[in-house]
Amino acid sequence: MTASIDDAKAAATATATAAAAAVGDATATVPAFRTTGAETQHAVEQFLYAEAELLDQHRYHEWLELFAEDVHYWAPTRMTRTIRERDREIAARGQSAFFEEDLYRLKGRVRRLTSGVSWSEEPPSRTRRLITNVRVRVRDDGALDVACNFYVYRSRLERHQDWFVGERFDVLRPAPSPERGYPFVIADRTIVLDQSTLLAPSISIFL
Amino acid sequence: MIADSDIADIGSGLVNPQIYTDPDLYQLELKNVFGRSWLFLAHDSQLPTAGSFVQTYMGEDPVLVVRQRDGSVKAFLNQCRHRGMRICRADAGTNRTFTCSYHGWAYDLEGNLINVPAESVAYHNELDKEKWGALKVPRIACYKGFYFGCWSAETPEFEDYLGDMTYYFDAVVDRWDSGLELVTGTTRWVIDCNWKFASEQFASDMYHAPISHASAFIALAEEPALQGFPPYEAPGRQFAGNGHGSGSHWLPEFAMPDAATGPAYTDWLEENKEEVFRRIGVERAHKVYAHNTIFPNFSFLGQSFTMRVWQPRGPGQIEVWAWTYVPKDAPDKVKDSVRQGTQRTFNPAGVFETDDGENWTEIQQVLRGHKARQNLFNVQMGLGHEERDVHGLPGRSNGVYAETAARGFYQRWSDLVRGLSWAEIAELEHSRRAAEEVQPA
Repeated sequence: MTASIDDAKAAATATATAAAAAVGDATATVPAFRTTGAETQHAVEQFLYAEAELLDQHRYHEWLELFAEDVHYWAPTRMTRTIRERDREIAARGQSAFFEEDLYRLKGRVRRLTSGVSWSEEPPSRTRRLITNVRVRVRDDGALDVACNFYVYRSRLERHQDWFVGERFDVLRPAPSPERGYPFVIADRTIVLDQSTLLAPSISIFL
Repeated sequence: MIADSDIADIGSGLVNPQIYTDPDLYQLELKNVFGRSWLFLAHDSQLPTAGSFVQTYMGEDPVLVVRQRDGSVKAFLNQCRHRGMRICRADAGTNRTFTCSYHGWAYDLEGNLINVPAESVAYHNELDKEKWGALKVPRIACYKGFYFGCWSAETPEFEDYLGDMTYYFDAVVDRWDSGLELVTGTTRWVIDCNWKFASEQFASDMYHAPISHASAFIALAEEPALQGFPPYEAPGRQFAGNGHGSGSHWLPEFAMPDAATGPAYTDWLEENKEEVFRRIGVERAHKVYAHNTIFPNFSFLGQSFTMRVWQPRGPGQIEVWAWTYVPKDAPDKVKDSVRQGTQRTFNPAGVFETDDGENWTEIQQVLRGHKARQNLFNVQMGLGHEERDVHGLPGRSNGVYAETAARGFYQRWSDLVRGLSWAEIAELEHSRRAAEEVQPA
C-alpha cells in the first residue's frame, strides 16, 4: 500500500499531541471524555488484545504484519521536571528516545530476536501484556486516535522480573487487506513509560 | 572484608571476584576512588543559559551542576546544610535560586546560603550564613566542553590525570571545528551488577563483541555478508594508561558504510573528512575511536555516539546515565541519523546494549555463591605482549584483543581503594614503568 501525504501529516500531529496528553497538558481544551460507536470500540480493543497475544506468544513475524509501511514507532525518554517546566518532561521528537524506528528497522529487530543468538532474549523472556483504558477518537480522515494504558510484566531466566508501565498513543488506519484477519494497521505509535529512570536492565522486548 | 594483599597485585591479571560483592569495600570505593578521582559532571550543551542546571552524581553523592551568570560552571552537593534534605528535586531546569522545600533555606547559583526564613525570630540573627552554604565541589575542570569535578586537592590536574588518554579522548571529542553537543535528555536505566564490569569492559573488552553481540548486525543489516564483525586477525590496538583505556579496529577506509546510522551520516562524513584529518591527523582518525573509558566511570564510544556514566549504586547495582553526542554544526538530517543509529545500538533497547546487561547481571547473580566468590577471574589476555609508543599511538598498548586496559584499570582502582596517596601512586607508576623497560620486548 502507499500512504498519502495526509496520512503522514496526521500521524505527525498525533505524535506531537500524544506527548502533551501524556503529561496532562493544562492548556488542553479537548475533553478527556471520548465516546465512539460500540462496534468500533470493540474492534479496537480486540485488535490491541490480539497484538498483545502475538507478542506474548513470540509470534513476531505475524506482529510485523500489523504495521503500516510508513509506521513511526517511538518511545521517548522522560525526566523529572517542575510543574513550571513540565512541558519539557517528555523528550520531544529529535531528542532522546528508547525506540525511534520505522518498519525496516522493526523487521531488523525481529530478525535479531528470532536469530537464536540474541542473548538478552535467548532463552526468551516470559511476558504478559495487560492493555486497559482504551480510548478512541475518530478523526476526520477516518483514522482512529487510540490511547491505552499498558502494564507489561517480564519474567526472565530463574527469577528476574521487570515491569514496564505507561501509556500508548496509536494511530490506526483501516487495514488495506482486512481478509488477513486484522481490521486495522498501526500507522503511528508513541510509547510513554512512567519511569524516568528505567528500573530494568534492558527493553529487549517490544512495547 | 577482602584484604589489601588480595588486590595489591591485581594488575598481574588475577582478580578476586569479592571486589564486585564486598559491601565494606564498596564504602571504601566511594571514599577513596570516587572521592579522589575526576568525575564527569556535564557537557556545555546541557547548560545553555545562566541558571541552567542538571542534577547528577559523584559516586552516590547528588550534585547540582549550574551555569553561573559569568558563564562558568560550578557544582555543589545537593544537600541542604540545615537538616540534609535534597535541595532540588528536578533532574534539570533553569533557576535563579535553589530553595529547600523542607524549611526554606535558599541558596544561590553557586550554592551560597542567601536566605533563611524567620532569621531574626528563629535564629536571633546569630546564624552565620557564610558558614552554612552547600558543600561546593572544590575543583572543576573544563576540557573541550566537558566538565569534570573532583573533591580532592591532592589529585593531579585533569590533563595530567588523563595523561596519554588525552590523545584518545581528543580523537572522539575534538574532531570537529564546531565541537559536539549532547542530544537533549538523559537516558537512565538500572542494571543489577557491579560498576566495574561496565567501566572495565568499555576500557578494554573488544573480545566479547563478536560473541555477546552476535545478533546485533543481524538486526542492522539484511545482507548476511554485512552481519559479521571484523575477523580476529584484523588490525587494531588497545591503549592503557592511568586506569583509562581505549581500543579500536583500524578502519580500512575512513567513512565506512555504517549499518546503524545509514548513508546520511557516512556521506556527510566523507564530504567533511578533511576537517577531521586537519584536527586529529589522518592516522589517528583511522586508528582511534571505538571503545573508551576515562577512569573510573565515564565511558564513550566512537562508532556509536554514546557517552555514559556508570553510577554506582551499592556493590551490586548501577544506574547507567547515557547521552547521545552529535557534531554541533552538522545538518539536522545528519544529526537525526547519528541519534537514531546510536539509540538503536547503545541504549536500554539497543541491539548491542541489551546483551551487555545480560552478561553483567548473570555474573553478579552467580557471585552470590560462596565457591563462585573464591574463583579468581582470568584477566591475563595478552599479558607480557604490551609495547610502548608503537604504530603512531602514544603510551602503552597491545593488540585490540587484550586485557591490558582492564589490568591497568584494576591496578589504578586497587592503588586508590587501598588508600595510597596520589604521590605514592605516582612513585609506584614510576617503578612499574622502570620494570617494564628492563623486560625483554
